[in-house]
Amino acid sequence: MNSSNFILKGGRVIDPARGIDRVMDIGVADGIITAPEAVGNPEIIDVSGLVVTPGLIDLHVHLRQPGNTAAETIATGTMAAAAGGFTAIVAMPNTTPAADTPGAIEYLRQTAARQGVVRVLPCGCLTRNRAGKEMAGIGGLHSAGVVALSDDGGCIQDHALMRHVAEYAHSFGLPILDHCEDAFLAANGVMHEGEWSVLLGMNGIASASEELMVARDIILSRLTGARIHVQHVSARESVELIRQARRQGLPVTGEATPHHIALTDECIKTYDTNYKMNPPLRSEADRQALIAGLADGTITVIATDHAPHTATAKLVEFDDAPFGIIGLETALPITLTLLVHSGILSLPDLIAKFTTGPAEVLGLDHCDLAEGHPADITVFDPDCAYEIDPSTFHSKARNTPFGGMKVRGRVRRTIVGGRTVYRYPEQAS
Amino acid sequence: MEFRWHRKDLLSLYDLSREEIEYILDTAEEFKKVSERNVKKVPALRGKTVVNFFVEPSTRTRISFELAEQRLSADIINVAVDASSLKKGETLLDTVRNIEARQVDLLVMRHRATGAQNFIAQNVRCGVINAGDGAHSHPTQALLDIFTIRQRKGRVAGLNVTIVGDILHSRVARSNIWGLLKLGARVTLAGPATLVPREFEKIGVRVCHNLRDALRAADVVNLLRIQHERQTAGFFPSVNEYARFFGLNQETFQYLRPDALVMHPGPINRDVELDSAVADGPNSVILEQVTNGLAVRMAVLFLVAGCGNK
Amino acid sequence: MTEQKQLFDAAAIAAAIARMADAIAAEFHPDSGNGEFALIGIYKQGVPLAERLLEAVAERNGGCRPELAKLDISMYRDDVGLRSGLPLIRETVIPFNMENKRVILVDDVLSSGRSIRAALDAVTDYGRPALIRLAVLVDRGMPEYPIRADYVGLRVDVPADRKIRVDFKENDGIDAIREVSWQRDAVPQNTD
Repeated sequence: MNSSNFILKGGRVIDPARGIDRVMDIGVADGIITAPEAVGNPEIIDVSGLVVTPGLIDLHVHLRQPGNTAAETIATGTMAAAAGGFTAIVAMPNTTPAADTPGAIEYLRQTAARQGVVRVLPCGCLTRNRAGKEMAGIGGLHSAGVVALSDDGGCIQDHALMRHVAEYAHSFGLPILDHCEDAFLAANGVMHEGEWSVLLGMNGIASASEELMVARDIILSRLTGARIHVQHVSARESVELIRQARRQGLPVTGEATPHHIALTDECIKTYDTNYKMNPPLRSEADRQALIAGLADGTITVIATDHAPHTATAKLVEFDDAPFGIIGLETALPITLTLLVHSGILSLPDLIAKFTTGPAEVLGLDHCDLAEGHPADITVFDPDCAYEIDPSTFHSKARNTPFGGMKVRGRVRRTIVGGRTVYRYPEQAS
Repeated sequence: MEFRWHRKDLLSLYDLSREEIEYILDTAEEFKKVSERNVKKVPALRGKTVVNFFVEPSTRTRISFELAEQRLSADIINVAVDASSLKKGETLLDTVRNIEARQVDLLVMRHRATGAQNFIAQNVRCGVINAGDGAHSHPTQALLDIFTIRQRKGRVAGLNVTIVGDILHSRVARSNIWGLLKLGARVTLAGPATLVPREFEKIGVRVCHNLRDALRAADVVNLLRIQHERQTAGFFPSVNEYARFFGLNQETFQYLRPDALVMHPGPINRDVELDSAVADGPNSVILEQVTNGLAVRMAVLFLVAGCGNK
Repeated sequence: MTEQKQLFDAAAIAAAIARMADAIAAEFHPDSGNGEFALIGIYKQGVPLAERLLEAVAERNGGCRPELAKLDISMYRDDVGLRSGLPLIRETVIPFNMENKRVILVDDVLSSGRSIRAALDAVTDYGRPALIRLAVLVDRGMPEYPIRADYVGLRVDVPADRKIRVDFKENDGIDAIREVSWQRDAVPQNTD
């Protein structure tokens, strides 16, 4: 199954970076994409009827190792990524301890090399222990190999500190992935502040808490030239702010999660803690604005914010439950179903949100299927209809609200560096 | 086909139909008479075990439930927050399942978290009666308020009911709103914009930030207790200023209809949200609310227990 | 499967009520010194029966009318939690002092005796009557409790898995007594 030389034959190749969308064969030799005729002694893999794309990238994954390996590990998280069609994932630094030192990054890189299934791209903290008080050793983190910086889960409230962090990170060419949230406006909140929080009597998180910080980041990006990427955009006005910033040519990008594309705050009337995440599910108007932002190119990335929690942690009162849901194994089928099959995005446009979009944020080259580049490839069936069944997940966690959802689109093969790390149907090896 | 009660839990008036709410009120009429007899006890819940599980301090509601349970001949266990093992790090669900394992029939539960009772009811077999969850729901309080209105006014439909105060943090307000709307009353919410969100207008109630406007034409005014900690949290500048602009006093009382009912779920902050003279005046039905609370809780216990835990 | 069989029609019911009224009127005749008494109809079908008995007794005793009470026994039943749906509690009306009163409980069918036990508990919670008698339209002769009726309109013998259903014009638009099969999920107010 891991033959190093093979040809993916007869698939619809979608390669957004090179503007390709046509049926063609892709050859792989020694882990490198190679002209099919130059592949020696190839295994022929028939992928007719399937879509072949550059390996998908998830900018936003919580692997929980070290610190909470009951919820997820590098091994299980990367296997979940492979099953979801992702060949590279950015590991958020809010582990315990936080990834704010070169040593922590080294641990992640070594463990991922030994136990990981897909490429794990480390992300370092902006501030020490993500406390928002003192700048982390950004230069050292850069040397240790981080691809980006983030205090995800938290947001630097001190604007002067954020300005300095942005300037400093910019001098190392590192993008900032910011969790935009004003802590005062969001204090004690457990769901979107709106009609449903008012009816249910839950503490709300106002959209303004996100919008204010998105505006702040845009202003600081203009001031400092720093590349700032807004994580998990959830509010209508945030989309508009990013749209204006991009029109002005600022290096500002934004990502949407599948759950903010799929769900709204009304879901919380069931008190199911699998609808509790931060930023919260917002109103239908926000959801539509997010979809419009994806359609017009304002939002260039879809990222999962894969946030595993144990069943025990989630089986509590809504107020007391931790924020977050898993997403790696549902992202592609859900976005195919809601965005492509519904006619909002073309298939190549959706693939771009998972490939060139995130690659641009990180400044990665060769996120394509060009000859000579590493063979990171995703093969999926865009039409296969089924119900999401969390019991089949490879993640250690099951905290998803999407169980039972009818979707169309299934990952068939994930290839990292020429090696098939996942295929469906799964076979005993 | 005659209507019959089928619920094993009472969690929120939002869940109930108009028919079900009226059914509880009608049942309460009969239980009110039990408390007026010499023998103030019936054997309706003989052999049933009811646990009063209060994970938030409460005196009034707990006493009312306890007396209601005694008058129905149930066996009662009180689990107060300090005595419970929640402080030992046990999860709420484990604590409740531990209680239920003692063959308990009914759980009367109060909790600080919105939806905690819904969460528990989904995970246990015994019936669950919500005695207040977070800022969400306090169905028996609203039922006793509506029962009092119905007894005094002979109807609920078409009445103008004004609720004044900290609507944002009030489970009493939310339950009253649902109950009153379902029975056809016109509801006005009044108070400063920090405490009375406009979003309520989406469900067909009137939101008013001027007390005088809210009191005009009101058949019933229900004052909510103002919590002093809201001042610290910056929702209004001072209790004095709140009393001046949003308290019902002898001056603002003049805007009410002469036969208007003055209600308060208690405990009253005298001369803050409600002037003493008005609280003790002829329009006040505050003590009747307490009396009726007993009848309403007997009815709810009887109905929910009557449906059994199959 | 609601296979049913009519046992008695309106005329048979009228005759039975007349027989019961004869017995009651004789015992509680104004001249007997026992003239003051009350009929207590047990909801649901005991109430119209008590009302008819009252008229019939008054007719026999020169217009001398007994008092009438209506009793709901829902709060006194011993099967709380065993039923799948609860019917509404009806208004108990007792317009007299129960203390030292002579009363006749009136119900449509005497079956297990459980309803009557509940009614006895209910009545005694209102006071201590001097005398309690029991009048039923139908006695099916299978009491599970040591309870017997003093005035019986009709006696029937039907298998234990069948149920006697009494309809009265006042509630149901027709006078009839039928034998029907049990429907466990729709247990009415008075099952015996």
